[in-house]
Amino acid sequence: MFKELKTLLPFARKYRSAYIIGFICLLATDAGEMYIPLLIKKAVDSLGTEGFSLHRIGTLMLLMLSIAVSVGAARFGWRFFIIGSSRRIERDLRKKIFDHLLTLSSTFFGSVKSGDIMARATNDMRSVRRASGMALVAFLDGTVLSVGIVSLLFITYGKLALVTILPLPFITLIILFAGKFIKKYFKSVQEGFSLLTERTRETFSGIRVIKSLTMETYFKKKFLQVNLQYKERNMRLVRLWGFFFPLISFISGLSLMLLLVFGGRAVINKQITPGDFTALISYLVMLIWPLMGMGFTVNILQRGAASMGRINNILKTEPDIVSPPRPVPFFKESDIKVKNLTFAYPGTDSPVIKEINAVFRRGATTGILGRTGSGKSTLLKLLPRLLDPPEGTLLIGDIDIRNYKLEVLRKNLGFVPQDTFLFSTTIRENISFGKPDAGDSEIMEICSIVSLVKDLENFPGGIGTEVGERGVTLSGGQKQRIAMGRALLPDPPVLIMDDPFSSVDTETESSILHRLFEKRQGKTNILVSHRVSTLSRCDYVYVLDGGRIVQRGTPGELLMEEGLYREIAVLQGEDV
Amino acid sequence: MKEEPLIKKYDPEIMRKILSFSKPYTLHMTIAVIALLLATAAELLLPVVIKTAIDGNILTPDPDPAALTAKGVLYFFLLLAVLLFSFVQVYLLAFTGQMVMKDIRVSLYNHIIRQSLNFMSKTPVGSLVSRVTNDVETLNEFFTSVAASVLKDFSLIIGVLVTIFFLNTRLALITALSLPPVFIAAAVFRAKARNAYRRVRSSVARVNAFLSEHIMGMEIIQMFGREESTGKAFGKENEVLLRAQLLELYVFAFFRPLMNLFTSVTVGVVIYFGSSRVQEGDLSLGVLIAFLSLVQKFYRPVLDFAEKFTILQSAMAGGERVFSLMEESEIIEDTGKGKSWEPGRGKIEFKNVSFSYKQGEPVLKNLSFTVYPGETAAIAGYTGAGKTTIANLLTRMWEIDEGEICIDGVNIQDIPLEDLRKGVIPVQQDVFLFAESIEENVRAGLDLTEEQTAQAARAAQAAGFIEKLPGKYRFDLSENAANISTGQRQLLSFARVLARNPAIIILDEATGSIDTETEKNIQKAVERLTENRTSLVIAHRLSTIRHADRILVLGSGRVQEEGTHEELLSKKGLYYNLYKLQYTR
Repeated sequence: MFKELKTLLPFARKYRSAYIIGFICLLATDAGEMYIPLLIKKAVDSLGTEGFSLHRIGTLMLLMLSIAVSVGAARFGWRFFIIGSSRRIERDLRKKIFDHLLTLSSTFFGSVKSGDIMARATNDMRSVRRASGMALVAFLDGTVLSVGIVSLLFITYGKLALVTILPLPFITLIILFAGKFIKKYFKSVQEGFSLLTERTRETFSGIRVIKSLTMETYFKKKFLQVNLQYKERNMRLVRLWGFFFPLISFISGLSLMLLLVFGGRAVINKQITPGDFTALISYLVMLIWPLMGMGFTVNILQRGAASMGRINNILKTEPDIVSPPRPVPFFKESDIKVKNLTFAYPGTDSPVIKEINAVFRRGATTGILGRTGSGKSTLLKLLPRLLDPPEGTLLIGDIDIRNYKLEVLRKNLGFVPQDTFLFSTTIRENISFGKPDAGDSEIMEICSIVSLVKDLENFPGGIGTEVGERGVTLSGGQKQRIAMGRALLPDPPVLIMDDPFSSVDTETESSILHRLFEKRQGKTNILVSHRVSTLSRCDYVYVLDGGRIVQRGTPGELLMEEGLYREIAVLQGEDV
Repeated sequence: MKEEPLIKKYDPEIMRKILSFSKPYTLHMTIAVIALLLATAAELLLPVVIKTAIDGNILTPDPDPAALTAKGVLYFFLLLAVLLFSFVQVYLLAFTGQMVMKDIRVSLYNHIIRQSLNFMSKTPVGSLVSRVTNDVETLNEFFTSVAASVLKDFSLIIGVLVTIFFLNTRLALITALSLPPVFIAAAVFRAKARNAYRRVRSSVARVNAFLSEHIMGMEIIQMFGREESTGKAFGKENEVLLRAQLLELYVFAFFRPLMNLFTSVTVGVVIYFGSSRVQEGDLSLGVLIAFLSLVQKFYRPVLDFAEKFTILQSAMAGGERVFSLMEESEIIEDTGKGKSWEPGRGKIEFKNVSFSYKQGEPVLKNLSFTVYPGETAAIAGYTGAGKTTIANLLTRMWEIDEGEICIDGVNIQDIPLEDLRKGVIPVQQDVFLFAESIEENVRAGLDLTEEQTAQAARAAQAAGFIEKLPGKYRFDLSENAANISTGQRQLLSFARVLARNPAIIILDEATGSIDTETEKNIQKAVERLTENRTSLVIAHRLSTIRHADRILVLGSGRVQEEGTHEELLSKKGLYYNLYKLQYTR
């Protein structure tokens, strides 16, 4: 359990002095708290005796007050230092996770769902924070107070202490026992909530279909079911939870009951004074929290360790795509060669690309055609090393791309991915993502190339318009054109476009391509498309099928020969 | 991203609405309140029992150990009563909360689902979802925090006061002197804690939004070499969150110990004044001890109470959003309700139809055309000519501004909405499938046998790929059906329409490119779809256009040309230009 938490050590060391001061404050709090009942006992015992003087009581109470003030200050101190440090550790750790994520490749992001990563950065972080803050407090406080009070009681009252304390350890046991179930039930409630959210989201996203197919009643029924299930899960937690706290009060109450019966007898038999009796009440009440704390510590630490384990899985993932130790300078003006490339995704053994040999000529536009799953997108992602090619299979300037500095390689290859992703900032910031210092006129020039100018006129803030979260306010075609502009703005020597116009109508596509080729004259372009009409503008086309190149040639040549290209052309109504 | 208010002042109107939802559970709530009062009373009696034991059985001239045991037994039963009543109260209030949440959720969901597409397209899905899920969840706080804790804290505060006054008026008056500073401190705490809470909540939301967005866009960040600046931007958000959390920590770190200090002060005062009274014989030691116990129960609820107030206010904010959404309504009225209608052979008539999504921007102007039973008519036109709008109007997803649309001679306004939408089914451009099994998606709420389901799939040419999937018809689609291809999604959407066998279909072809393998299947499926029924095809592909019996060319909101492909081409008009530009190059 503690093995996982070791990750926290370097962080904890950073705040060592704060922790030490916090612990001293905590000890001072405990000492002061334990001393106060003794003062009350003295005051009560002096009642009804000759030694009674109001002055003495006053002195005692003033002493008690000054101790209470110090305890208050010490309480503030440990919260400030210990809990404050745990918050800082949380910040450091969160930053570390994110910085690490920035170095990981799609191999990692493909294997771990984004919701999962989010859960680690939020929920798991919270339990780690509790383990590094509250758990320490509860543990130290619990040990000091319970050992302190119990030994004090034993030394002073012997057997009576034993009898009255008897029920209290059950508090710790119950917490340990119930903790497991509470955790389990709580998780099922959370899962129920996700289910509910997902069902709601799906309904509202698909409302058009639901209305067209008159599925309203069906969905209402299903939603009611999800709700009932969620309610049931909540109630299961409530049945346990609702019993849990009253039960702890009940057990601590039993302790007071035993004190009443046996302590009362001891007072009658003059074994203890009424003051002792009062002090015992205080001490027994005081014991409840540390005993609860001990139980919680175990739970919090267990949960923290499990969470830390999940976070460690991220931190331990080594970045698999990195710059070479001694990078070579980049050749801008050269062909890109694919040599005997066979590629399977990490962790799988069926290759999606098989023995491909190809050349993307500099200054030319090379097209790629292929069915879904033919390996086109994979091939494109290998070029900027978003996926890592085997050694010696991808060459620029006859040098393995793995020998270039990663940042330099990527800077020279512009990329328009198949799935458009925009950030929820302004259109301006999205387009200038690869060239943050670009001026507005430069951006507007790009906008006119990708036919955005008309669209921008309809937006309230022009290029300053915020893109709704994940681009919800824009149409698919607008998003694709912005993504195209983003890749175009830095004017990279090589531009890779993975089916960039799938949501743009043919008319617009045609005019964008016209301007695009003008702008890109003399530069290298690689263009995947499903449309033969688009590919007919390329200098050379590769046809991929099942991970292999099945045809190659100029669009004119391909149209002449029997094969996939011609077949598709016919389907798309080209005059063959 | 628009920030929503997290906190709202107490609003009796919202309270009234929540209470109206909890009416069916009045009995539960009444019992819960009674149980709460009994539990509190029992809890307050505990120190009183100790007091009577001390004064009556221990510190008397003739102590009575047997009676002491009896007091112990009484104490035990009181503890048991506290346990039992507390549980009953917690359970019943939680139950009420859960039931009310369920009821509000279901009625909100049913309300939203009835809204017109116009309303739905104006409101982002994300915000509707968070109304139904998170905002309703905060309403639960009324029952778990506000009703339960506040009632309990409140009755405890009152109960302690009553009990101490009952025990000894003078000492109680002295104790009560500590109340004003305590309440002032609590009020200050409340204000501070609320601000801190608000700041933490909004920074947490920002950090989470940042994280989730940048995790999704990681490839882009890396591709454009923006790792460092993104890391820095995150560091900034992270720092803001830390500051907010520390502020909250300081507020709590100050006020929690302060309340403990108040307890100690009061204990000191009670002992100081109490001891002289005891000495003079005006006060028994038992009462003094009971005072000490009760005083210690007093201050925590005050702080709790203040803390819960913030939660109440955030629930108010959630409640306001929920209830104001319930009041917004924009539904297509079912004007044909109760009338009987049987789909005939499926003749579609548009008579002088005008329509605009936004006022002043007409999409259709005096549009008239007829599609005859069994015919396949294609609608062609430039992007934005209103092709897709026709489908929206025919199924009354939107209402026309002027004119008349008839099916088999009956105005669609006079057809029950459900019957109309059963008779006329559109197949949309953007296929939306549900994250359920293939089978469920084909059935889409109908009661179909396995054979009927498979039949529909075969007709839609979808059976081929389905048979190859693991689990076949039981294969579960993931979110947005991401685990099958675009073309396959299209085929499934055909299957679910074929399963319904409507009299009229409207086929809005996908603009996007589809992989070639399924393209052939899609063409075959389209043939099946349009067979023996009236079809209106919003065409983006030449192949579909060529198969149409008649082509209507839409321009400036009306039909500009009509005829077969060849006829229109020879006209060398709008269609000819369109064809040259859009379908060839």
